[in-house]
Amino acid sequence: MSQESILSPRKGAFGAYGGRYVSELLVPALNELEEARRTIVRSSAFKKEFRGMLRDWAGRPTALTYAPNFSKLCNLHVYLKREDLLHGGAHKTNNVVGQGILAKRMGKTRIIAETGAGQHGVATAMIGARMGFETVVYMGARDVERQAPNVKRMQLCGCTVVPVTTGSQTLKDAINEALRDWTANLGNTHYLLGTVCGPDPFPRLVRDFHRVIGKEARAQWAESVGDLPRAVVACVGGGSNALGIFKAFVKDAGVDLVGVEPGGHGLESGAHGATLLRGTPGLLHGARTSVLQDEFGQILEPHSVAAGLDYPGVGPEHAYLRDTGRARYTSVTDDEAIEAFEILARTEGIIPAFEPAHAFAYLMKAVALGDYEAGAKILVNCSGRGDKDLDTYRKLYGHRLAGAGAKMGPLS
Amino acid sequence: MSRANLAAAFAASNQHVSPFLVLGDPTPEISFQLAKAAIELGATMLEVGIAFGDPSADGLAIQRANLRAMNAKATTPVAFSIMKRIHAAFPTIPMNLLVYGNLVHAAGFERFAREAVESGASSLLVPDLMFEEGEELRAVCKTVGLGHAELVGPLSEPKRIRKLAAAVDAYLYLVAFQGVTGARTGAADSIRELVHRTASGVEVPVCVGFGLSTREQIAAVFEAGARVAVVGSYLATAIEAGVNAGPLGDGAQVLAKFRAAFAPLVGAVAQ
Ligand SMILES: Cc1ncc(COP(=O)(O)O)c(C=O)c1O
Repeated sequence: MSQESILSPRKGAFGAYGGRYVSELLVPALNELEEARRTIVRSSAFKKEFRGMLRDWAGRPTALTYAPNFSKLCNLHVYLKREDLLHGGAHKTNNVVGQGILAKRMGKTRIIAETGAGQHGVATAMIGARMGFETVVYMGARDVERQAPNVKRMQLCGCTVVPVTTGSQTLKDAINEALRDWTANLGNTHYLLGTVCGPDPFPRLVRDFHRVIGKEARAQWAESVGDLPRAVVACVGGGSNALGIFKAFVKDAGVDLVGVEPGGHGLESGAHGATLLRGTPGLLHGARTSVLQDEFGQILEPHSVAAGLDYPGVGPEHAYLRDTGRARYTSVTDDEAIEAFEILARTEGIIPAFEPAHAFAYLMKAVALGDYEAGAKILVNCSGRGDKDLDTYRKLYGHRLAGAGAKMGPLS
Repeated sequence: MSRANLAAAFAASNQHVSPFLVLGDPTPEISFQLAKAAIELGATMLEVGIAFGDPSADGLAIQRANLRAMNAKATTPVAFSIMKRIHAAFPTIPMNLLVYGNLVHAAGFERFAREAVESGASSLLVPDLMFEEGEELRAVCKTVGLGHAELVGPLSEPKRIRKLAAAVDAYLYLVAFQGVTGARTGAADSIRELVHRTASGVEVPVCVGFGLSTREQIAAVFEAGARVAVVGSYLATAIEAGVNAGPLGDGAQVLAKFRAAFAPLVGAVAQ
């Protein structure tokens, strides 16, 4: 049986989580990045460039959309923050714009990134092209196969995609490989990490670049809805889209913050990615956080139909929000998520990515679970659009298309 | 206590060639035989690792060594049992344990450190636990009588090197190249310069590793003031060649390749 290790992170701690659990060899790079975060990111010149590029290149602000038909189905009033409308098709773009500008101002000429589904890889490739970086994206060899269209998009933008053939050949191995590259090339290279994980200062850096989601949503809500939402709901993979929208509401005690984790084939099956619900404290990719691991500390391979949620760790700030009770985490299965994916498309004409489909799936059962009274007003982060998932959908669930079509009207 | 083995070894000699072996690679039995072979060839110290599935500080050769050991079910308890065997057979040979943080964390710092000592470990180095985050573990090591080592690299500032050196009671592990583990040929001059700069500024023994693969490199690091030269990836590659040479059997091929690779390197020690 494992015993508790007494450990409090020193750098970038969120309670008992966070920190910098990295090799001494990476310390110079993290120090440099932290210094840049404190000076460059806080400068008005940076903020101006960041805001400008989010507006002119990425297409911010994104809309807040009321979903009348889906609301009826859920017995709630559901408002979508439309990160699916952002350039690139997901919230990921906020972070790459921020880190891209930062890397440029730090004098870096090369950016590297990890990607699982390929969304963050595509976003990194886009910013690399726009800002003239040499760009290398590490991607598990299995994911390269599963997410072929995104590999093409990255290559179109001039980025080198390196398949990672070691370990389980998925996202966690891609992160390991990116860390190795960074250690060897930290002079000219910035590691553009894609979510609120990793060693300090990444969890704070990435979170802050996504705060714009919640800030905008809050202002839009005040203008068009009124009072605060009863709950803010988002899917949680590494946790960046969730933190981005949560942060603007953390101080509002009456607003529930709900993170929806990938339940995969069900929590009991072991094939899931529910890191906060089923993980234990551990050290992964530079942070102390909630980790899916065995009794010896070997990292387990997660499962989710949504490649972007298929990660055995989670941002340390989420572990903290969970422990303090400020945020609540729940899960839905692959099947529930896919059903919600179909239903949102059919009722609202919005095809969400598989990842936010998890958040929609939760809303479909929230009233029945007794979590909210009928008619409650809910803000949900639609973190990305589903184009990237159509191949997977056709392969895994194509047979449902005919059945669902018969019940709900023809597809074409 | 095994920590004393380390002090005794440093008192006995200024130059130790230490193989790095992932415990359980390619099987627990052959892994023991490899340690035995190394010592019989002249290794006066061993660095041993417990297999981890996410070795982010390691290059391909040692990643694959980890994978082979994991495939052979070399879990933490199995690794400790191999160490116990080595320690029973060679009770004066120091064993320096290198383990990724999550394996130590999952076991519980205190339990892990105690079991390491009981298994004959002289010291512990956690490559992904930077100094500032390592205070709790250092305290535990002190309590249970396990030596501890810290890692420094080519980019570590002199002030920081002195600070870390002041905190260790086993040795300072100098990474010879900025990057991950992996055998590199040549570059003896730049290593010599780096080792000299590091070793001359500190009182504690300096151990050099990451990338050593030739007799010349090893001679150079000793000449520059290092007291331990660790050879890892180069030997992992030899083991791999043995594994790929045919059925594992009793490991004869693996041992032959390993001996052929290691024997010339031990000769680098000035007699
Ligand atoms: C659309 C979308 N939503 C969510 C995620 C999950 O990441 P995070 O939890 O960091 O928001 C991803 C990751 O690829 C994604 O592409």
